[in-house]
Amino acid sequence: MGVLERQTLISTAEDAVKAALKLGAKEAEAYAYEGQAISIGIELGQISKTNCIIDRGLGIRVLVNKAIGFAYTNILTDKAAIEGAVIGALSAAKASKPDPDWHGLPSMQSYRPAEGTFDQRIVELSPEDLVKVTATMLDVAPEVDKRVFPVEGGAGSGYWANAIVNSNGIAAYDRGTIVECSLAALAKEGSEVTPICFEFNITRDYRLNPEWVGREAAKLAVAALKPKPVETKTTRVILTQFALQDLLTYTFMNAIKADNVQRRQSPFKDKIGEQVASKSLTIYDDGLYPGGLRASQFDGEGVAHQKTPIIEKGVLKNFLYDNYTARKENRESSGNASRAGYLSVPGIDVTNFQIMPGRKSAEEMLSEVNDGLIIYYLQGAHSSNPVSGEFSVVANPAWIIKDGMIDHSCKGAMLAGNVFELLKNISVVGGNERQVGNLVAPWVIVENMRVIGK
Amino acid sequence: MKDFLNKLNSTAISLGAEYAEARALRLTKTSLTLKEEQVEAAKQGIESGVAVRVLVNGAWGFASAGSLEPVTLDNAVLSACRMAKLASTRLKIPIKLAPVKVIEDRVVAKPKKDPSHVSMEEKIQTALKINRSSIGFDSRVKSCGMDYLDLTGNSFFVNSEGTSIEQDKLYVWARITATARTNGVFTFSREEIGSTAGYELFDEQIPEELGKKVAARAVQQLTAKPPKGGKSPVVLGPNVVGVFVHEAFGHLAEADLALSGGLLASNMGKKIGSSLVTFYDDGTLLGSFGAFKYDDEGVPTQKTLLIKDGIVTGLMHNRDTANKFNTNPTGNARAEDFRVEPIIRMRCTYMAPQDQTLEELFEGIKFGYYFKSFRGGQASLDGTFQVGIQEGYEIINSEIGAPIRDASISGNTLETLHKVDAVGRDFVLDPGRCGKGQTAFICDGGPHIRLSEVVVGGSA
Repeated sequence: MGVLERQTLISTAEDAVKAALKLGAKEAEAYAYEGQAISIGIELGQISKTNCIIDRGLGIRVLVNKAIGFAYTNILTDKAAIEGAVIGALSAAKASKPDPDWHGLPSMQSYRPAEGTFDQRIVELSPEDLVKVTATMLDVAPEVDKRVFPVEGGAGSGYWANAIVNSNGIAAYDRGTIVECSLAALAKEGSEVTPICFEFNITRDYRLNPEWVGREAAKLAVAALKPKPVETKTTRVILTQFALQDLLTYTFMNAIKADNVQRRQSPFKDKIGEQVASKSLTIYDDGLYPGGLRASQFDGEGVAHQKTPIIEKGVLKNFLYDNYTARKENRESSGNASRAGYLSVPGIDVTNFQIMPGRKSAEEMLSEVNDGLIIYYLQGAHSSNPVSGEFSVVANPAWIIKDGMIDHSCKGAMLAGNVFELLKNISVVGGNERQVGNLVAPWVIVENMRVIGK
Repeated sequence: MKDFLNKLNSTAISLGAEYAEARALRLTKTSLTLKEEQVEAAKQGIESGVAVRVLVNGAWGFASAGSLEPVTLDNAVLSACRMAKLASTRLKIPIKLAPVKVIEDRVVAKPKKDPSHVSMEEKIQTALKINRSSIGFDSRVKSCGMDYLDLTGNSFFVNSEGTSIEQDKLYVWARITATARTNGVFTFSREEIGSTAGYELFDEQIPEELGKKVAARAVQQLTAKPPKGGKSPVVLGPNVVGVFVHEAFGHLAEADLALSGGLLASNMGKKIGSSLVTFYDDGTLLGSFGAFKYDDEGVPTQKTLLIKDGIVTGLMHNRDTANKFNTNPTGNARAEDFRVEPIIRMRCTYMAPQDQTLEELFEGIKFGYYFKSFRGGQASLDGTFQVGIQEGYEIINSEIGAPIRDASISGNTLETLHKVDAVGRDFVLDPGRCGKGQTAFICDGGPHIRLSEVVVGGSA
């Protein structure tokens, strides 16, 4: 199939919009997607599975009397199937209730390119290349230590294109690539098993370092051996990007979404301009972040991506808007409508959530902790109270820091607190920035963290 | 369709595969999102596609395409075989499948109310009723939400051994949320319902009652206080027991994870818990959210005993892991849809009830906690688990006391199963969704139980 062809995708979407208007829609928007992904997987320490997934589809959103209907189909070759989806969307809209707050689909935009989000080398990557990458990680990990056992992971690549066309004149097209490799390893000694320790590379251009991934995953697993219980106390902790991303995703990132603010589900309502976090914290949401995992020219409604200040030196600056919530307040969308593919309607989400780095290296950050913990991963962050920000989670694996050095791993440490208080207790923002999913951040040091041990 | 899929398998065999299977799926989905009596989105979707999976020289090749076009699918078979062959060059231990009976069957869903015959208007009305009863419950309820999904369609499974199965698929699911607020205190409450029987789910779960229940919990939590962190005796309700069984034990009993260094592979036949502990994973409970007749490898589902009286008796298997353990597959291989390959998933995982009354469970607890309803849970292969709590109470002198909020429990599975010192005679199952790369519709539950101690995470 002609994956990534601008004209095919745009005209598929255009046809759907035209059909919707002809059949009685007041407004219509179509999102067309095509993509292909291949991956090589590790099971029980060996390469034993391969995947190749081709997916495409069309989602159509229509408005009839201010009521929204949506339908999708993954049959794009058949005009009748697309028309069927249009009819489905129209009938859903007709069955639905009018929304008095609906003030139209977004209007025409001009776009800036998202740098570093497409690499032809990834499109041309062969499964052989990915097998090599995977084999390298598998070879390197046990060389670090014999007690290391690679559990899962592998390498994968993907490329896709999407188009958004609406009845207000938007006709946008973009494409992207991604490549990744990861290794999850644990270490075993006697009857002792460490938690899974995980490392990865993921980039929009072809830039993998499987030796590093294999080695780091193995090192972490070995370091997690021989854990000791931890004392219950209030202490200083370093949160790595994984832990930080987990904690913020289910709480803070929700609190800055305009729909939650408008629905009074955010503690940040009426707090723009107020000091809500430590002065050392500056955060942007940047849909154009070069090479960003979520960077592209436009959002799920065809609105141009932008860089939005969220927190500057601890002061709350902006919320994130899609077109609907923006029009409700008579302002412009911040380009934060997100789609989970063609099967979903757009909803507000962060793009690349960037915590601006400071200058301190990992070693310098460690040296500032006399007696505390460094937390790699959390278990249970998704069970946080999404509205109040209260959390009660397990740190696993985590290590005790003594006199500025990682001393030993600890088991079963629980952390309890409130994310919005935690933001005020960040004393140091490091310089070791990396991308983890929707977050671009360095390590941070948090004061007064409640740690519950045995 | 059967002939078409057979042809794909034949192509794979002619390309050197020792085993091939093809799955075709055609699904219709309806979903709704409501917030504060406003329909945010009414959605309808149709999707169809084919997945092929081949074993070449002991390595898996999988390819899927959202298409029924012969050319696209022939290419999919070709790339599956090519990639599997490539992977097999690095293979030390080739994958072999445990033998299973050849099956030819047609499984027909018999809903009292077929969700695909219920109009969008009626579904919206039901959802609105739930929303209305939440928001109207109390002025402190500030928001409410409802996500609804139904899925109907059929799946074909054909493999190169001669098995050929056509199954109807039917799921009805809803998630109801509410938040309440007063004096700067925010609370959040949620409930999920689900069925594989039909839209009659809403005759059993009265919409108005559901909305009220979720709202009442959010309001009650406003006066709740954070729990004291540290070890404490606890009584867990069926809803929390279910998640505990699923997260803390169930994942460890998935044979792929057990093989990946999980704790259970070395504990088969050993006593890892109190004699009161008996767990099942059961795919046969008709109508329950985790029920089906054949899994996505064409293996019949069953009621699998995992722990009997504290002794590990079985794991959940697919054909590959069953062969590795020299046992029979248990029908746990499930794929979310045609896009992805089947992996080992739970069905309905529960603890068997014993004979104690609720009063007996509370008896003798001077100070402890009663955790009634969960909010999320997670476990890791080393046996560390965490279960978040959305509704809990203090226990003071064997009586239920003041509500507490935002608690969680954590510990090591093997240590904690020994701490089960009383098990109730009641039994409740709740539907849920489980993430393991793919989403699976599952069910879990059990009776009320008591743990002599567990670590409670709380900020007080």
